[in-house]
Amino acid sequence: MRVLTATALGLAAAFALVLTMTAIGAPTGTTSPKPLLTTVPKHP
Amino acid sequence: MRRTASLVLLAFAVFFTALSPLMRFYAFPRLAKIPAGQYQDMVLEARPATLVDYGTMKAKKVPEVTIVQTLKGDVAASDRIEKTAGRDVVVWDALSYVAGPDGKMVSQIPERYIFDAHSQEPVHATGEMVDGDPVHRAGIEFKWPFLAEKRDYVYFDAQTRTSAPIHYKGTRTFHGLQVYYFEQTIPWTRVPLPKKMPVKGITPQAVEKMGTTRWYTTKRMLWVEPVTGAPVNGQEIHKEELRGGDLLPGGGKVTAFAGHVKMRDDYVASTVALVKSRRTLVLLLTSYLPWGFLALGAALLALSLHLEARSRRPAGPGPAPQPPLSPA
Repeated sequence: MRVLTATALGLAAAFALVLTMTAIGAPTGTTSPKPLLTTVPKHP
Repeated sequence: MRRTASLVLLAFAVFFTALSPLMRFYAFPRLAKIPAGQYQDMVLEARPATLVDYGTMKAKKVPEVTIVQTLKGDVAASDRIEKTAGRDVVVWDALSYVAGPDGKMVSQIPERYIFDAHSQEPVHATGEMVDGDPVHRAGIEFKWPFLAEKRDYVYFDAQTRTSAPIHYKGTRTFHGLQVYYFEQTIPWTRVPLPKKMPVKGITPQAVEKMGTTRWYTTKRMLWVEPVTGAPVNGQEIHKEELRGGDLLPGGGKVTAFAGHVKMRDDYVASTVALVKSRRTLVLLLTSYLPWGFLALGAALLALSLHLEARSRRPAGPGPAPQPPLSPA
């Protein structure tokens, strides 16, 4: 019974961590204020 | 005490073992995405090149033609489209600005490209366009999906507004990176005149009225880093012609632009550096963490079993019994 509990605990923690990570997701950021270029930049 | 420790280790072993496939097959597709607000520029050059002289309507050799390509993510537009698309979407406003040796505009083609942030599949929404013309893209453009495969892909060509296969031609090493080399040839095709012409007072409508048409062919070559799906080098053998009409009577034709277009060296170096850093992040989700967690899970399980086995071992023989004291 204790083995089953330990297994379930480990599994639940793994699911909880991954679901939280994906729910938070990556930040989308903001639109860059830089324009679409119509001159040749000197360097990247 | 050993029993408790083995149970704790078992819980951690299950945690890390479960985390391994969850990270690769659940988290990776949801976390590895093109940021909606990405901004990137690229400079390509053709040295030498051929351009049309609109004064004489004759082709002339020039020392260089430069193509400045900018990609800019529109975050507000992607948020709006995501509400109806039901998935993470990236909206790129792109501009391919072609400049002559004097820096003056030869042509410019704006685009709006809308795609799935992870799979790179096109998403069709209002605003998808090339040079103001609504388009319905199929396949990929600018970038391959993460974990690109050794196979042909369908690639969108902005000049013809159509998609055609881009063929996998083998694996190469480029600046220390293993890359997949792809090639696409667009045969001579009649294409629309750019909305913005390089000569003041001349509009595409006026040129069309004169019966002159624009034709284009290109051989597109791209070196793609497969983990990120990002091209690290690109070249094009590009030819454009103006044909017939009052501008070129008697079925004449003139080269409007021709040249072997290559990425500028400093942009190659910066792209390679950027891709190398992103590659590590993608590998973290697809390989390093899943395999690491699996190994850690196995090690913890072994340790847990070992402790459990020791806790069940019967106690060893005690000290030898003392012989009974004999009465003196």
